[in-house]
Amino acid sequence: MSDTLIEVNDLKIHFFTDEGVVRAVDGVDLTIERGKTLCLVGESGCGKSVACRAFLQIVHSIGKIVSGEIIYHRRVDNNFEETIDIAQLNPKGRQIREIRGKEISMIFQEPMTSLSPMYTVGNQIMENILLHTNLSKEEARQLCVQLLDQVGIPQPHRLVDEYPFRLSGGMRQRAMIAMALSCNPTLLIADEPTTALDVTTQANILDLMRNIQKEYQMALLFITHDLGVVAEIADTVAVMYLGKIVESGDVDTIFNNPKHPYTQALLRSIPKISRTREKLDTIQGMVPNPYRRPGGCPFHPRCTQAMPECSTMVPSVTRFSDGHTTRCLLYENITTKQFAELS
Amino acid sequence: MDLEREVEDMWKFLFRRTLAMLFTVWVVSIISFAVIQLPPGDYVTTLMSQMVSQGGRELTPEYAEQLRELYGLNESMYVQYGKWITNIIFKGQFGYSFVYKRDAVELITERMPMTFALSMSSFVLVWVIALPIGIYSAVRKYSIGDYIFTFLGFIGLAVPSFLLALILLFVSQKYLGQAMIGLFSQEFADAAWSWDKFVDMLKHLWIPTILIGLGGTAGLIRTMRANLLDELNKPYVETARAKGLSETRLLLKYPVRHALNPFVSTIGWTLPNLVAGEVIVAIVLNLPTSGPVLYRALQSQDMFVAAGFILLLSILTVIGTFISDLLLAVLDPRIRLR
Repeated sequence: MSDTLIEVNDLKIHFFTDEGVVRAVDGVDLTIERGKTLCLVGESGCGKSVACRAFLQIVHSIGKIVSGEIIYHRRVDNNFEETIDIAQLNPKGRQIREIRGKEISMIFQEPMTSLSPMYTVGNQIMENILLHTNLSKEEARQLCVQLLDQVGIPQPHRLVDEYPFRLSGGMRQRAMIAMALSCNPTLLIADEPTTALDVTTQANILDLMRNIQKEYQMALLFITHDLGVVAEIADTVAVMYLGKIVESGDVDTIFNNPKHPYTQALLRSIPKISRTREKLDTIQGMVPNPYRRPGGCPFHPRCTQAMPECSTMVPSVTRFSDGHTTRCLLYENITTKQFAELS
Repeated sequence: MDLEREVEDMWKFLFRRTLAMLFTVWVVSIISFAVIQLPPGDYVTTLMSQMVSQGGRELTPEYAEQLRELYGLNESMYVQYGKWITNIIFKGQFGYSFVYKRDAVELITERMPMTFALSMSSFVLVWVIALPIGIYSAVRKYSIGDYIFTFLGFIGLAVPSFLLALILLFVSQKYLGQAMIGLFSQEFADAAWSWDKFVDMLKHLWIPTILIGLGGTAGLIRTMRANLLDELNKPYVETARAKGLSETRLLLKYPVRHALNPFVSTIGWTLPNLVAGEVIVAIVLNLPTSGPVLYRALQSQDMFVAAGFILLLSILTVIGTFISDLLLAVLDPRIRLR
């Protein structure tokens, strides 16, 4: 019985468009522990949303999982575990559909459009319950009211019959969370759930998610580009850049001892409130054109510590202590030098 | 929100729409009456020129004046309209047909049910064909099937229905030895209504139904395809997929339901389109519908028949729009609840 819930090994997802192939996810390794929170951090377009959609096999139809595996350790009962490679499942098949919404559920970025305006909130939440459990309609409705109450929706008896377009963004996101929780998932994927909300609502939703995670003992994969959010909720952090995980480790290590120049630059670009006014550090350059990814280390054109070999050599994973890993030639050189000295 | 309030909102909505509908029909009645009167001359002038062209005796001005007196054509337009509309509302009389020398009501009640049956069957056919094909074309975008339906659809849009009717006449005459004209076989044409006559009608009905429905079908396939393509990548579809719904259930419950919205609002303009298409096809195929009678009435300024038909067709159109509004409100809570 391991504590690992999901292991992603060398996952590659490519989008085959008319203009060419976009390597949206290009060799991602991730580990999600049971009951823990993993934050996936990265700029817009780095492939983090695509990667997490692969966990449910709901990548957009022009995107294909080209290689790699997503090993899901499914606990059947208390002393038996089976492993499923989600990457191998048919996206329209019965097996993945039984996992979706029941064992792994997802919250999306846009609460305003993620619920259909045609059906009541209750209808859309009950749909999930009725699909995956044997509850009767009446029982499902009661559970639904209970869930709405739990996620902090006032007057849940009344709002269960309300249409989504009559609720505020924050309320809709709460309804989405209630929907995702309805079948006691083992993993909740949240794709930038607070990005579209205003700041006070953001804080409320974050608090809510932290509380329900403790209560439900579920793993949380939280996707964000907001490092402030990461500091608040993460157990472990994975930093993604152009389809690759460039650094990962537990949250304290990443914040106190970042190794990869990209992580360092990200942390430098957080505004700090200090007595003296300083110009905010930014990462130089732009995210490269997706059709013309730079060779070698994808970050080298923007890296302040780039070396000549960075444009040709693809860095491999360097492991530090306690699960802290990075992909950067700076550290590979050190280790090879050290290795040479040792031998 | 409680059901009672929703029901109450619905009644208010119905009441408002019914008032608006009555007003529209009233305005349409004035316009249709005025339009009939617009061309110079009246039925009597048509009659006079006919008699001259047939080499007959010329009408004396006195006799013409007598005729005008008899038909009430001398009075001002306002008075004529007033008489016409009060007769319709209070007595159900639409006036007198100069050409057919009969009561206009008789002509209309004789022809209108057939027109209605034909329009309705075409309408149902259009929906039954266009809806699934539109859905298929959107879901399997750029597949071979999509290209085939697109190709056929554009042909259907481009070929005028009267041309198809003529081709069909030629083919049926040449290869079946019998022209597919009319709605009834000869032995039933003047017979009273019976089960056999009804069956006989159904046997003939499918040809004009297809001819009339063809153009509309092609248009609606394109509409449905475009609507659905807009919806397929919306976030709520992804939410539904992430729940584990099967693709078919998901498709029908979410994007198709959303895409139906603009589709339903096309009902309003589909009905008059069908009726207009019907006129030409009915003339070519010699169908006992309102089309040919209306056409002849307009030509010979048989004003009461023409105005009566136009009024009824307009009412049908207004009712069509009303139905589509009603369906929209039922389908879409955003419209119902504002």
